[in-house]
Amino acid sequence: MAAHAGRWGCLSENGTPLVDVDELRVWFPIRSGVVLDRHVGDVKAVDGVSLQIRRGETLGLVGESGCGKSTVGRALLRLYEPTGGTITFDGQDITHLGERELRPLRKRMQMIFQDPYASLNPRHSVGRMVGEPLRVHKMGGRNLNKTVRELLATVGLPADAATRYPHEFSGGQRQRIGLARALALNPDFIVCDEPVSALDVSIQAQIVNLLELLQTEFDLTYLFIAHDLAVVRHISDRIAVMYLGQIMELSPGDDLYDNPLHPYTISLLSAIPIPDPEVERKRTSILLQGDLPSPSNPPHACRFHTRCPYVQPTRCRDEEPELRPVDTHLVKCHFAEEIKAGTLQPQQREVVFETPSAPAVWQPPPS
Amino acid sequence: MSIAELEAREIALEPGQGGLWRDAWRRLRRNPGALIGFTLVGLFVVVALFASVIAPEDPRFGDLSRLGGSCCPGPSFDHWFGVDQQGRDVLSRIVFGARFSLLIGVVSVAVGLSLGLVLGSIAGYMGGIVDGIIMRLTDIMLSIPGLLLAIGIVAMLGPGLFQIMIAVGATQVPIFARLMRGSILAQRENDFVLAARAIGVPRRSILASHILPNAISPVIVQGTLALATAIIDVAGLGFLGLGPQDPSTPEWGTMLTDTTRYLQTAPHLAIIPGVAIIISVLGFNLIGDGLREALDPKLRGRG
Amino acid sequence: MTGEPLLSVEDLHVRFGTERGLVYAVNGVSFEISAGETLGIVGESGCGKSVTSLAILGILSRNARVTNGRAMFAGRDLLTLNDEQLRSIRGREIAMIFQDPMTSLNPVLTIGRQIREALETHFGMDRGQADLRSTELLDQVGIPSAKLRLKDYPHQFSGGMRQRAMIAIALACEPKLLIADEPTTALDVTIQAQILQLLRDLVSERDTALILITHDLGVVAGMCERVNVMYAGMFMETGSADALFARPRHPYTLGLLQSVPRLDAGRRQQLQPIPGAPRNMLSPPAECPFAPRCRFEVEESRQAVPPLEELESGHHVRCFNPVPAEEWQRTRVGGAA
Repeated sequence: MAAHAGRWGCLSENGTPLVDVDELRVWFPIRSGVVLDRHVGDVKAVDGVSLQIRRGETLGLVGESGCGKSTVGRALLRLYEPTGGTITFDGQDITHLGERELRPLRKRMQMIFQDPYASLNPRHSVGRMVGEPLRVHKMGGRNLNKTVRELLATVGLPADAATRYPHEFSGGQRQRIGLARALALNPDFIVCDEPVSALDVSIQAQIVNLLELLQTEFDLTYLFIAHDLAVVRHISDRIAVMYLGQIMELSPGDDLYDNPLHPYTISLLSAIPIPDPEVERKRTSILLQGDLPSPSNPPHACRFHTRCPYVQPTRCRDEEPELRPVDTHLVKCHFAEEIKAGTLQPQQREVVFETPSAPAVWQPPPS
Repeated sequence: MSIAELEAREIALEPGQGGLWRDAWRRLRRNPGALIGFTLVGLFVVVALFASVIAPEDPRFGDLSRLGGSCCPGPSFDHWFGVDQQGRDVLSRIVFGARFSLLIGVVSVAVGLSLGLVLGSIAGYMGGIVDGIIMRLTDIMLSIPGLLLAIGIVAMLGPGLFQIMIAVGATQVPIFARLMRGSILAQRENDFVLAARAIGVPRRSILASHILPNAISPVIVQGTLALATAIIDVAGLGFLGLGPQDPSTPEWGTMLTDTTRYLQTAPHLAIIPGVAIIISVLGFNLIGDGLREALDPKLRGRG
Repeated sequence: MTGEPLLSVEDLHVRFGTERGLVYAVNGVSFEISAGETLGIVGESGCGKSVTSLAILGILSRNARVTNGRAMFAGRDLLTLNDEQLRSIRGREIAMIFQDPMTSLNPVLTIGRQIREALETHFGMDRGQADLRSTELLDQVGIPSAKLRLKDYPHQFSGGMRQRAMIAIALACEPKLLIADEPTTALDVTIQAQILQLLRDLVSERDTALILITHDLGVVAGMCERVNVMYAGMFMETGSADALFARPRHPYTLGLLQSVPRLDAGRRQQLQPIPGAPRNMLSPPAECPFAPRCRFEVEESRQAVPPLEELESGHHVRCFNPVPAEEWQRTRVGGAA
């Protein structure tokens, strides 16, 4: 189904997209049992995601916690094993490549992480950490130290940082170290997984600006994953909105904000506070009721129907919508046209809370 | 209140210098308990190493004439710790006993630690069925009380110095295996491990340079504490008569057993080896606790 | 402000003893809040905003000391009360909600038991009355089938519901003042919107005073009448939300506003980060604490801590060289679409 719809997103572009994801599924098995683990179900973290990332663009991926956005990013880099679907990087199918075959590709795709504390090995000096990718790929040679110093300078760190250790740096500086490590191999594509969420407001902007600067300088393509729509809108060319493992809407950033078509996007946008009391007073916000349903047992048909303020008696509860083109958007909603025309209005809904069952124990596959 | 503390710590964090090990060492040096521990253990090690120099005479040499008809003469100028029921100098026996305790303790912990580390690392890193089998085995071993297990092993192998080392070491294996496995599992989920994979670092290097160095600190703590347990276990085996075969071997546990009969008339014969055991065990425990505090990630400054 | 303030804090100073030396966490904070008012305290991590509220409630950690100040609440100085007296005020008249509802709820007690506890200790209700009231409270904070939910344990609740339960516990004794410390930081935006709406309703229906402590300028803009911007343990700028967000006069406030991307500004917006990092607080401030990061720094900034001066009615700024009133509007490229 999404084969044609998914590709539609890059019709205007010539050539192949850098990253092409088709019907990606990543399920984590839920195991239980005392002596022998039994497979009792799956957490469907990513359940049929198709998207293309064009060369040189920033694709924003937003959604609330548990929607599977980080899993998409990690699966793209093959840090998680895909359960189904295909991942194509620069024309090459990498869905099932082994570790050895992946290694040359690792040079071209990198990642920066959310937690600047957990993502740096506390026992390695900064120099060792930033130089590690070069050593692994035998690219450093005699100039390794010089290259490391240059990389540190590129991300705005002093040269003496190389001999120091991560715990001597603040959160923002650590995020720069992570960036230097990601840039070491001169990659084409970087997955930015919530790179600023853990940082203080005044530091966030430093990193966002640096990311933008580096993109122009090194011709980078970003997948920018975040829950903060304002940051995503600031940095992204196109934005995909995820809910419960699926993409609900994908469109150019400005169109998404000016003219959201999916009820979930509309609610999400209206929930984000704007630092301006005047604007805040004038806004009407749509309060989304209830909690996110469990991804191990997502609602049938449209996944959003349990919380949707626009839910209709027909179709929503018994027919899964396709991700289909409407204007410049791709929308996974039966009633996108009606919403656009304003003939459908949101209603207050009865509160239905999902009871989270006892937290299922699952581990990401060690792959 | 934890929030305020955290906030205060964040504010205060004048970053420390150097790596985490050096940081831990600095914290350790500031810990008075650990310093006392180091002193006691230092004393213990020096005595053990230089036993032949320190001890006034051969620990096996007995002269019944020293008893002078009573059992047994207490501390005197000639024999600081007194004389035992066979007319041997207790000080010399204690000094040489230190050598035995240290030797047996270190070797048995080394046995337990190395085996435990290997098993734990395999279980932690491989996961799946291998993990299941290793962990169930350790569960079985842990369900038997340590000393009982050691007695069983000695009974199987026969008494003797070497056998004691093996037996005490074996009781430590499951403890280390469990600890190592848990620690590796915790480290494996860290983002920096993921980052290393994203870079293309081969699996073996990830384990060796990213996971193990970070997983090892609880093992170091446990290793120190295990030395204390090993000394007690060895003394216990000695006390139960499963010690070194030669009854004249100066071993603290054996010394305790031999003197129980004279407890009424010559309590110093029991008290002195008892104190020696307590001091050495206390020393290792203090160091272990100090290490735990120094290496605890919760105390490690963030930022 | 109308009438007598409910809580009035004057010149509060708090210090911590840490292994690296004394930390000057709060350095002279004063504010007032009246019934039915929502006061915002905004600042980044480590600015002393949480410490301020903990000091008022007398629940600072042992290594902390209030070295100066008064906190007058209903005619009594909270800072001079003993533990016993404070306990009767805490929960009963002033309640607090924390950021992480999982760690502030006791995992081994049912939600019902935890609400009941407050009712039983403060009102001497019996089991039946307390149960009835607990059901009512859960119902009010928007937890469906409240009666059944009383028997649940915290882990059976989602993050948003736990925060609702926390609010129910806080409301159990109908406090006059509610202090919410980053109440929505751990929650998703759609859940955040629910919780904020709940807090808004409480303030307007019960005339509760609310102190909202957060790092999120957007949350403050939508919730508070008056805002205090805190940096290095001091208020840098205080005023009505309208004035402060329209005409920020302190360089730090301006810097914060210029460094957050706004949803309604689009990609044209230029982010202007504040350079550098916050000062460490190992010495009492002897100069303007923001001076090392400030674009508007003047010579005096390095010589003394500027006083908090009133620039327009109710709008105070701690700066020797306040930003021109129109600076923020002028530099806002794009603006509301």
